[in-house]
Amino acid sequence: MADITFDGVTKIFADKIRAVDELSLHVADGEFMVLVGPSGCGKTTALRMLAGLEDITSGSLSIGGAVVNNVLPKDRDVAMVFQNYALYPHMTVAQNMGFALKIRGLSKSDIAAKVLEAATILRLTDYLDRRPKALSGGQRQRVAMGRAIVRSPQAFLMDEPLSNLDAQLRVEMRLEIARIQRLLGVATVYVTHDQIEAMTMGDRVAVMRGGKLQQVATPQDLYDHPDNDFVAGFVGSPPMNLLRASLESANDGLRVVLGAQRLDVPATYLSSHDLPNADGPGVILGIRPEDVEVLSGDSAGALMTRVERREALGAEILVHLSLVDAKENTAFVVNDEGALVARPTTLVAKMGPRAGVAVGDQLNVRFNVEHLHFFDADSGLSLRIRS
Amino acid sequence: MATVSVNAPKARRLTLKRRRQLAGVVFALPAIALVIGFIGIPIGQDVYYSFTQWDGQTATWVGVSTWTQAFHNPNLWTALRNNALLLLSVPFALGLPLCIAVLLHQRVAGWRIFRTIYFLPTAISWVVLGLVAERFFAFQGTLNSIIHALGFSHFSTNLLGYQSEALLALGITFIFTMIGTNTMLFLTGLATLDPSLEEAARIDGAGRWRIFRNITLPHLSRFIQLAFVMTVIALFSALFSLIFVMTGGGPGYATTTVEYLIYQTGFNQGDFGTAALYGLILFVITGVVGIVQLRLIGSSE
Amino acid sequence: MTTASTPPKEPEDPRPSMGPVQRPRKLGRWMLFVVMMIVAVIMLYPFWVMIYTSLKSEAQFLAGSGFSWISWSSLTSVIPIGQEVLSSTIVCAASILLILIVGLPAGFAFSKLRFRLSTGIFLVMVSAMMVPLQAILMTEYVNVSRLHLTGGYTAAVLVYAALGTPFSVFLFSTYFRGVPDELIEAGIVDGLGYVGVLWRLVVPIALPAIATVTVLQFIQIWDDLLVGLFFIQNTSDRPITVGLAVLAAGRTTSIPELMAGSIISALPAMLVYVGFQRYLVKGLTMGIDR
Repeated sequence: MADITFDGVTKIFADKIRAVDELSLHVADGEFMVLVGPSGCGKTTALRMLAGLEDITSGSLSIGGAVVNNVLPKDRDVAMVFQNYALYPHMTVAQNMGFALKIRGLSKSDIAAKVLEAATILRLTDYLDRRPKALSGGQRQRVAMGRAIVRSPQAFLMDEPLSNLDAQLRVEMRLEIARIQRLLGVATVYVTHDQIEAMTMGDRVAVMRGGKLQQVATPQDLYDHPDNDFVAGFVGSPPMNLLRASLESANDGLRVVLGAQRLDVPATYLSSHDLPNADGPGVILGIRPEDVEVLSGDSAGALMTRVERREALGAEILVHLSLVDAKENTAFVVNDEGALVARPTTLVAKMGPRAGVAVGDQLNVRFNVEHLHFFDADSGLSLRIRS
Repeated sequence: MATVSVNAPKARRLTLKRRRQLAGVVFALPAIALVIGFIGIPIGQDVYYSFTQWDGQTATWVGVSTWTQAFHNPNLWTALRNNALLLLSVPFALGLPLCIAVLLHQRVAGWRIFRTIYFLPTAISWVVLGLVAERFFAFQGTLNSIIHALGFSHFSTNLLGYQSEALLALGITFIFTMIGTNTMLFLTGLATLDPSLEEAARIDGAGRWRIFRNITLPHLSRFIQLAFVMTVIALFSALFSLIFVMTGGGPGYATTTVEYLIYQTGFNQGDFGTAALYGLILFVITGVVGIVQLRLIGSSE
Repeated sequence: MTTASTPPKEPEDPRPSMGPVQRPRKLGRWMLFVVMMIVAVIMLYPFWVMIYTSLKSEAQFLAGSGFSWISWSSLTSVIPIGQEVLSSTIVCAASILLILIVGLPAGFAFSKLRFRLSTGIFLVMVSAMMVPLQAILMTEYVNVSRLHLTGGYTAAVLVYAALGTPFSVFLFSTYFRGVPDELIEAGIVDGLGYVGVLWRLVVPIALPAIATVTVLQFIQIWDDLLVGLFFIQNTSDRPITVGLAVLAAGRTTSIPELMAGSIISALPAMLVYVGFQRYLVKGLTMGIDR
């Protein structure tokens, strides 16, 4: 039983690329920690350093309280599930699962017993004598897990184990893995680029970007209180609306300038957030689609919008709206294949599945002012004052 | 199960990466040693001995006199000329198999059997093929019998008699022996060609010849490159067996090539110093050809 | 050659085949078949000659006709063919074994166990493929005599192994490049050292490559003349190619006997080829794809 501690761990590759930059993270014993982020963010490298497959350039890594920077993988007592399963093609399922034990010199009967135990948990008992090439993708994935479970390691490491499965299987296996992890109670570090997996499976989620840890918190915390605009836009689907806007003063308060329209900033935010002065650099305003309410009539404080696009998802309709009379400086800047594109300010809002709405319609929307997010216009950091 | 424990120093410094590198070196060492010992060093020795007068036992340094003698020796130039002439057979040794491979690729009934048959002669030793060829081209041999039977008796050839014809016979036999391997190579290459490329071209209106030129041939370039290399290597080494059995280098030196000359100079005449020099020349030639083909035909690895 | 009853349309018609063009296409395929038969006959000619000639006695051969098994039976008294076949087999087996033992780990090392200078060394080794034996023959021979290796098969086996190693290293490394790194890493995390990875993981999955190398090297070594000629001194240890060449060089040789010997010499390589065709094909493509 062990916990895992990254302390300022950095990895610099030969070509001067900083894959992981001063990562400090603690995974408690028995905790399911998900490392999530876009490709290239360093999550896989961090996992591989944990496994011992990559050298650590600086910082210290500990498992169960012992520093393991220079300890070989086999001596770290960790088990890994690879993205492409990496099953030994010339061995049967039983042999694959029992291999590590065989190396450690356990007796045949011990090995058989442990293999059977793991196979039962994973419902693989009917396949023990098959070779990997005779198995389906889902079965292979389970064998890969079985190989890890059988070792009763101090920690499980999983590298995007579900990314090669089709959508339906993925949903099934998400539950399976979570269940098994709870059953075994072993510290688990799980890497994925899929934020849905992260949210549904993790006890805590660590969001990474460009080698740096952005935020680590429970899924709900990440959702409710993102520390910066990246996390805000990464977690949650469809992503949070992020609008660049300037502030102006109004009635000893502040107002957000959205083109020709104005949004009053509720007084509570003035004390809970470190907002810049009016006519200053402005802010990035965040509001989730589910917090954008489409009104049937007019109302005070409503914003006028026009429907630019609609996406019918079956259970709901997503409407892409532009703020009427949006001016240049409130452009919603989007990375379109790497280039910066200015678009008319668009908001995404959710509507019921049978809402009759068409492109070009004028809609009045109201933001749920209890769930506004403010981020620094330059750094993107949340302006919320932490206690 | 024992882990890599080659004189394990303080385990603290033996990270996985170091172990991997150590294993890499240890695993590759026997091969490297073997190749250096039995190929690399002899080449170096060629250089050394070419400056000596050497009878296999004692080598006396004579400086460049071996070189000057050798380059004044008409036999060397004859041999070089013969090698150069035989190089002319290479286009045929590539072109014919290409045609055959294309034919096979059309998948006529029983093509698999044809493929096996075409490759079968490759399994035969060059010695044996040389023997059969010798029978075929000899004065009293099969070719003359056929010619005679067809009534062209004044065209009869004499393998041993005429210099240019002997070389021609050698060249033809060489081409024959290379047909098997090269056909197989090209056929495999054709098989890896994506048929949808061909279909797309055909829909676009391309004729068969155009398809061949702009789609098939470029795809095959790597295979052609490999075939070229293999053929040339054979020309400078395996050809020896053919010469040994068919003509013994003759008549005179008409069919002596550099590789055969080495054998002659060394073993028959006991002049090892000169033979070493010839060996060096041969090595340089193959090296040059290797580099040239890299530039000419395609990109390297 | 027969022609169709209607004047055939242009066979090189680039249009996708429709009605009227159908018949010349069928004709085309027949012509193709005929051409291929002709080529097959040409390719089979040596075999025909060997068989035909061997089934005569000397006298019959010189006379030009006749049929007799006598050349086959007298063959054994002219050259110790059984012994020579045995020698060939021993040399082949030993050389191939050495090539595999030396080449497989090296191929694995160059493709997966990158160390400093490994790319450069690999390139040099692969280019050693192009060195013809004759270029180093003399010095090789002298070296071998100085080291007193000329007795028995040792020298020949070492030379064959040295000549065959570059190619086998090339083939193995190409093959192993197609093996995912994850597989090796899984073995490491499971607890293997690199020797264990080699023996327990790499070798079992390298069987197709091993087969290819074995087939290619077998044909090459079995059919080789030069090395056997130079590096096997004892006449009793002669491989069959040398035996045949010596027989051919002798002026008192009976041609039918020579042919009979040739057939025996050619048989093993042919059988190996026919039996293991697909490994040959795989091997040839492997060098290209990567």
